[in-house]
This record gives sequence, structure tokens and C-alpha cells, in this order.
Amino acid sequence: MNPSAGLELRELVKHYTSDAEVVRAVDGVSLTVAPGELVALYGPSGSGKTTLLLLTAGLLAPDRGSVWFAQREVSSLPAAEAARFRRREVGFVFQSFHLMAGATALDNAALKLLGDGWTLRDARRVTRPWLERVGLHERAEHTPDKLSMGERQRVAIARALAGEPRLLLTDEPTGNLDSKRSREILALLRDLCRERGIPGLLVTHDPQARAFVDRVHTLRDGHLHEGLDAELAMSLA
Amino acid sequence: MSRPSLNPTILGVRLSMLCRFYGWRLRRHTAQELLAGGGIAVGVALVFGVLVANSSLMSSAGNLLHGLVGSARLQLVARSSDGFNEGLATTVRRLPGVEAAAGLLREEVTVLGPRGRESVQLIGIDPNIIQLGVLTQREPVSSELLLAGGLGLPAEVARSIGAGQGDPVTLFANGEAHPASVRLVLSGALANATRDGTVAIALLPLAQTLTGRLERVTQVLVKPAPGAEALVAGELRRLAAGRLDVEPVEEELRQLGSAEKPTSQSTSLFAAIGGMVGFLLALNAMLLTVPERRRFIADLRMQGFDSHQVLLILGFQALLLGIGASLVGVVLGDVLSHTLFHRVPLYLAVAFPLSSAQLIHASTILLALGAGVLATLIASLPPLIDLRPGRPADAVFREIRDDAGVSRDAVLWLGAAGLVILVAVTVLVLSTPRLTVLGGVALALVAICLIPAVFVTAIGALARIGERIPGSMLVIAMTELRSTATRSIALAGVAALAVYGSVAIGGARQDLLHGIDGAISHYFGTADIWVVNGDDIFNTNSFTADGTAAKIARTPGVAAVRTYQGGLLDIGTRRLWVRARAPTDPAMLEAGQLVSGDLATATELLRRGGWAAISSELAAEHHLRVGGSVSLPTPSGSVRFGVAAIMTNSGWPPGAITINTNDYSRYWRTTDPSALEVDLEPGVAVGTVKHAIEGALGNRRGLLVRTSGERTAESEASARQGLRTLGEIATLLLIAAALSVASALGAVIWQRRAKLASLRIQGFDYRQLWRALLLESLILLSIGSVDGVLLGVYGHALASRWLELTTGFSAPFSLGGLQILETFLLVAGMAIAVIAVPGLRAAKVPASVGLQE
Repeated sequence: MNPSAGLELRELVKHYTSDAEVVRAVDGVSLTVAPGELVALYGPSGSGKTTLLLLTAGLLAPDRGSVWFAQREVSSLPAAEAARFRRREVGFVFQSFHLMAGATALDNAALKLLGDGWTLRDARRVTRPWLERVGLHERAEHTPDKLSMGERQRVAIARALAGEPRLLLTDEPTGNLDSKRSREILALLRDLCRERGIPGLLVTHDPQARAFVDRVHTLRDGHLHEGLDAELAMSLA
Repeated sequence: MSRPSLNPTILGVRLSMLCRFYGWRLRRHTAQELLAGGGIAVGVALVFGVLVANSSLMSSAGNLLHGLVGSARLQLVARSSDGFNEGLATTVRRLPGVEAAAGLLREEVTVLGPRGRESVQLIGIDPNIIQLGVLTQREPVSSELLLAGGLGLPAEVARSIGAGQGDPVTLFANGEAHPASVRLVLSGALANATRDGTVAIALLPLAQTLTGRLERVTQVLVKPAPGAEALVAGELRRLAAGRLDVEPVEEELRQLGSAEKPTSQSTSLFAAIGGMVGFLLALNAMLLTVPERRRFIADLRMQGFDSHQVLLILGFQALLLGIGASLVGVVLGDVLSHTLFHRVPLYLAVAFPLSSAQLIHASTILLALGAGVLATLIASLPPLIDLRPGRPADAVFREIRDDAGVSRDAVLWLGAAGLVILVAVTVLVLSTPRLTVLGGVALALVAICLIPAVFVTAIGALARIGERIPGSMLVIAMTELRSTATRSIALAGVAALAVYGSVAIGGARQDLLHGIDGAISHYFGTADIWVVNGDDIFNTNSFTADGTAAKIARTPGVAAVRTYQGGLLDIGTRRLWVRARAPTDPAMLEAGQLVSGDLATATELLRRGGWAAISSELAAEHHLRVGGSVSLPTPSGSVRFGVAAIMTNSGWPPGAITINTNDYSRYWRTTDPSALEVDLEPGVAVGTVKHAIEGALGNRRGLLVRTSGERTAESEASARQGLRTLGEIATLLLIAAALSVASALGAVIWQRRAKLASLRIQGFDYRQLWRALLLESLILLSIGSVDGVLLGVYGHALASRWLELTTGFSAPFSLGGLQILETFLLVAGMAIAVIAVPGLRAAKVPASVGLQE
């Protein structure tokens, strides 16, 4: 493992106050994800998974602790720097795809680069190979309504990879897919992390994901445990 | 006997359930319901406000007139403001079949109080009027007025000039300033009728003294004995000997109707366009909710509701929305009719006793409510297409997207339909000019039909431009607009309608004002200085000459002084404006107002005498042509004049007649001027000579000395006051539509927060997203505005033509680029300003919104 290119969460703490009650969304979480490694993060609803993803992407500032990536402390970056970090170094995949209905698969995959000063023409040029990589070369000019759910998620993955990110963050990427499509997408994510040598963090409820990741962690009540805890293991069985 | 249930079952659905369904809908889709309701309310408010304002003018004038004439049925009326000898009233009283008769003197005067001045009709009443039931012994204040003399002012006028009971005021009449005291008439039938009127009441001798018409009256009101009306009318005609008019007392109301018709027609047309735009605003707002309502229909049918029940549920929701929105519209319309639209047209008050009272009839309320509810029901129809057999399965097996997009076929079909309507409108208008108004309304529909084509073309072009710009938020904006094509087209349609209505109405109003301004400036442009009788903007009240012209002629710097004469003359239902110019006048006619004939020839004939220039409506009504002849009922009897030219109505709706002063003096039997035209020597300062003339007039403080420019400005202000409602409708429509667009855009942006959050997670800065949102809104508004402007200019041309045809005013078409630009800036500026804050908040959406917990 080359620690300088990996993701490291150090004693992260994030609490919210709601109706005078303190919610310990993330409570002292430490985690390291090495380059090429895909780590799954399981947890029941409300366990703090989304908060952890937001902290990792520099979208939330932790109360304590820090997020390090490529020898840089992401958690202390100013907002503009954090935005640039996400644009240039992070690929993000969502459960609900967040594709634009009026744009083709190619344009959807290329859109992210516009935020970094690319022209759409150039963005299309560099994105096209990624669409090929996720197996959608033939469907590049189709709009999302002409694509299956699995194909839509592939477009979202191509979009995440288009800027050649060095970190992959995914939030329930198989949540809207059937079991066959889920396996395809999970395999794709695993292969991409390995091929590109980039760390990946997969937030999921999908039992199948265990077979495609290098490590599994459970987040419950803000605390991180290695492997699946008993309760989750039973529910996923 | 069972009591009727408070919760009846209709088609198997409880009333409470229908209400609950709507409650759920309101909670879930508050913004859309408000938007749709807002559109309906705006339309209803404009139509209701205008209906009330228009009908109030006639109704309240009718009340005032009936209050003044009491039980009189017939009247003997003078053909000039000089009137006739009051002894004739005594003669009338002695005629067989006459039960009662009373003389009246009416003249336009100005009353000056501590806080301002008002133009009113001074009505001098003969004590015999009591026999007509106008004033009775049971009305002590009125009787006191009769006994003590003094001036009776309606409360509205007294308040306006700041004079209370017993206060001294100055009354300007016959070129003189007269001190008078106020006695408010505040009780009895007359007081009720005149409370909001633009009139002043005085005992006849006082009125005669104030106006310089000693022993003269302009009217004798006659009450025939039962069954003797025909006999009395015959006797009166014999007495009149062709030199006075004998007519029913209601005749004046018909003349007022004819005079105010063009203005009320114009405001009604503009309100109709406003109502149509309001309806289309609501329709567009309803279209935004179509996918959601289709899902609702599908869900209901899957749950076992039959098509009648679905129809009932949707109809009930539309009914509640329609009633609620229409009620709000009626309240807003009432406010409008009492505030913005509440004014007595000054130019009409010159010739008729008017009242500013606002009268609302139950039928007007019902009409407005009915129209609003019907419009809402129609706007709710589109999702009902899903009631066709076999559609319930859609809820399960077919995805109903929030925005299904617009197919190429739909764009082409709608575009083709728009072009077909456009061609049909053009053919219709060319072949049947009177149907121009229908064309104007149909163009609003064309604006909607063409929006998809304009949208698709513009988005395609802008997307191609955006591809070449590095880091362009234009691409994001275009992609989002494409993604929400139906919604975007609907919103652009709202903007298009707003701009269409505003450009068409505003442009036509501007043309009308230009036309009237042109007529006024030509009319007063014949002299450097005008000496006029008070605030008499039409120069229809004469004043005793008393050597005034000679005094002015001796003033240094004055080259020439000409007498101008004029008055009002009733022909049928038209109260015509008679204008008599000296043969030496440099321009007998206004060149820009010539409809038919040759200006030079007509001028020559008018100078020669025995010829008249007449308005086109009068010519059309009596089938007159240039070179023909017209018989005019003058105070000397009927006199035949040759028709030298046919003109526009020169700014006076019933029409105008122009002759020379020699003819006027001879047939109207007076040499008194109603104004004096003063030419100055070359090179002298107008202001200096004006002051010198004011000095020369001495104690004739009722005569006002005005430069040509000042008099033009005063008259234009009066004309604009009468037409202000048209401008207000255009502005209100624009503001309402801009707010509708802004709120719709705001709601749409707010709904997209999850997508915006996903972009933020991907590294887009909130400033970039905000820029993209504003750009998207601006593009949408621009697309709507371009479509609206193109159709609006055509609508403007049609509306101007219609105004010329129906009002008789000159309304020459001019593009009005500045007004178009103002319209666009107002719509875009307001909308962008309104959405800037929610847009910024949406752009700053927490990233967690884009994720699933």
C-alpha cells in the first residue's frame, strides 16, 4: 500500500443538535482505504453513513478529527478548495443517478468537467472512452429515458470517472437496480478501483456487495466496526 | 322526516372525502395551486374591475340625471351655451297638458378652494323644480340653500378643494372670478344623487349672475300630465320652432353612452385580452401539474374509483380552486375599481354631469365568478385524457415522468397550428375589420402554439454556442431546460403571454395617445398664445367679449388676435364638438386628422363659408361624402352646410364639426368668443408677452393666458387621464405575469434541489450553480419575450386598427421599440430579482439532499 495516495479518516467526530438532543452521527471514526482497494460500509438507516461520505468529500467540516487524502488534509480546506478537490480528485456515484433528462448519455457523463473550465466538445472527447469502458459506447447518444436502470448507473459511473479521479465515493449505487444489474455494477466498481489504483468507499445495503469488496465495515450509532456486526449479518443473510 | 345530510354521498363519494382529497392536494402542491389560482384571480380582477368602472360611470350618471330631473319626462334644450330666455319656462308652464316645468342653466365652471380647483358643471335651478319632486319642503338643508342662496357642492368636490360648509370659494365663469360661499347639499334625493357628482348647484339667479347669462336658461324640464306626453311634445316643438331641441330627459344619457362608448369599448377590449392572458396563465400553471395529476388519476383508478368518480374528484378540486380564485379576483377587482380605475374622465365631464360613485351589480359579480370558475374547469381538462379505457394500468406498468418532454411531432403540429391561426387571423381581419378584436385574442393563442418551436430552436442554437465556451454554465442551463422541456415551455409561454399582452395593449394605447396628442398639438398650434375661459379644455363655453380682444391687441409684441368660437351640439345620440375658426386662421383643419378630402381645397371652402368639416362617424351615420351636404340644427334653425372634408373625431369621441366664425356668429347668434388666438410679432419672448397680456386682462381673472405648448400639455393631460386605465391594465398584467413567472421559476428551482445538491457534491461551486440558474431563467424569459414581442407587435397593429375603427380616434401605428425594451426589462428584471434569493438558497443546498441516508 502506498499511504500517500490513500484515504485516511482520523478520529472523525460529527455531532448534530436536534431539539436539544445531541445526535452523534459520526463518533470517533478512523478508517484507511488504500489505493486500488474498495471498502464497503454497511449500516442501518440513520447510522451516519451519509454524514461520513459528506465529511470524506469535504462537504462537511468535522467537529474533531481529520480527513486526509494524498497527503493533504481535506477536512480543513476552504470551500472553494474543497469544491476543486471534488471536481478534480473525487468521483461520486449516487443511488438515484442524478442524470439530466434532456442530455445524452455522453453529455451527462461529460457535464462534470464543465465546472472545471472545459468546453463541452473537449469534455465529450475525453469522456467517450469512459462510456466505452462501462459498456455504453453504442448508447452514447441516448437520453436517460431510453436507458435501463443499470445503463443509467453506468452513465453515472462514467461521469464519476471522466475527470480521472483519484478517489471513488459511492452512495448506494445498486439501490435502484435488480440483482443481476447490481452484480454487474459492483464488479465494474471493483475492477475500476483495481485498474486505476484508486481507493473506493462504497456505502451500501446490498448483501451482494460483500463479494466484490476488499473489506467490510459497519457503521452503527456513529461508531465504525470492522466486518458486519451480528445484527446486520442476520438481516443481510 | 329525515334531515338532509351535511355529508352527502355523490356518486358514491362522501363530500368530506372530496374535501379531504383537495386538502391533501393543497398541502402537497401549494405552490402550483397558488400559481393557477393567481392566474385566474388576475384575469377575473382585471375583467371585474373594468366592468365595474365602466358600468358605474353610466349607472351613476343615470342616478345623477334622474336626481336632477325628478319626475320630468320631456325637456326643451338650447343648442348653445348661450341658452334662451327664461321667460320661455313660464310659457311652457302655461301650455296645455303641462303639469310642471322648471328652467335650468348649466355651464362648465371652475371652483377654487383652499386646497385646489375642480372643473364642475354649474347647475342653476329654478324654485319651480320643487314641483318636479327634485327638492321638497321635507329637505330642510336644500330649502335653506334655495332661500339663502350660495353654492351647493357635492361632498366629493368640497373635499377635493378643501372647502367646508360656509367657507368662501372662488368660482371662475364667463372669464370672471366670482366670490361665492359654500352650502353643502347633504340630504334628500338630490343630495344623494349628486354626492359624488362633478356638479355644483346654485339658485338660478345666482348661476345666471356668475355665468353672465342674465335671464337665460339652457334647459326647461317639463312634466306632462298623465296621458298628455304626446300633446305636450307637440306643443313644445311648436314653441321651439326648429331653434331648440325637444327630447325625452333620458336623451342625455344616450348621448353620454355614445360619448363614453369608445373608451369603455377600449378598456373592455384591453380587459378581455387581460382576462384571456389571465386564463392562459392559469392554464399554463395547471399544465405544470399534469404529470402529477395523471399519476393521481391512475392511482385512483387502480384503487377502484370509476371514471365518473375520478371526474367528480377532479371537477370538485377545480371548482374549489375556481371559486376561491374568482372570489379573490372579485375582491382585487373591487379594489382596482375603487382605486386605479376609479376616475371620472375629465374630458367627458366637460359635456355631461358625471358622478364618481362606484356601483356594483350582483350580475357583474356573478358574471365574473362564473367566468373564473369556467376558466378553471377548462384549464383542468388535460389530464382527463387518462380516463380513456385501458389507461389505469399506466400507474403500474408505465413510468409517468415529471416531464415527459416535447416530441418533435408536437412541436411541428403546434407550430403549424399557430401559423394556420396566424394566417386565418390576417385573412379575417382584412376581410372583416370589425372582427379585429377576435384576432387580437386569437394571437394570444398563436403565441402559445409557437412557443415550443421557438424554444427548441433557441435551445439548439444556444447549446451549440455553449459547446465552444470553456467552463460554460450555459451548457448546464441548456441541459436543464431540455430536461424539463414541458415545464420550461409552459413557463416561457407565461412570459410570452405577459409580453404579448403588454406589447399589444401598451403599443395600441401609445398609438392612441400619439394620435390624440397630434390632434391636440395641431389644434393649439395655430396661435402662439391662447386666452381661454377657465379650465374649458374643449373651448366650448363662450365669455362676454367686453373689448378683451382689443385690449390684448394693444399689448406690445402682439401681432394679431383672432376670435375662436365653439360649443356642443346634439345630433341624435351624438353630442358633437363644434369648432369655429376665424377665416384668417393659418390652419382651419389639422392635417394629420384628415380622413377624406383635400386639405387645401377644404381649407379654402371653410374660409369661404357655408362649408363644414365633419367627423367620419357622423359622415358614416348619415351617409355623407366630401362634396355632399349636411343639415345642422343650429340655434337659428336647421342650416345646410357643404361637406368640405371628413376628419377623425379630433379627440372627442362623439365627433367634431369645424366651420368658420362668420358662419358660427350668424347661425349661433353670438359674437362672444370661447377663446382668443394670439399671434406674436417675430422675435418677441413668448413669456414676456404672456405676462403682459395677463396684466392687460386686469380683473378678468377667469380668463387664463396660456402658451400654445402649455395649452397642449393641459389638454394632453386631460386626454391621458381618460385613457390612463388602458395603461394601468397593461402594467398590472405585466406585473402579475412577471410575478407568476418568477414564482413558477422559483418553485421549479426549489424542486430541483436534490439535483443541484448532486452537482455540488461533484464539485460545482454554489456560485457556478447560481449563475446557471439565473442564466436558465433569463434564457427562458428571453424565449418567451421574443415570441411575445413578435406576436405582440402584430397584436398591437391590430388593436390600433380596431381602436381607429371603433373609437374614431387617430391611432397611427408606430413600433415603440423603447416600450418593448421596457416591457422586456420589466418582466426579466422583476422575475430575475424575485428568483435571485431562492435561486441562491437553492444553489447553496446542503449536499446531503443529494444523498440517500
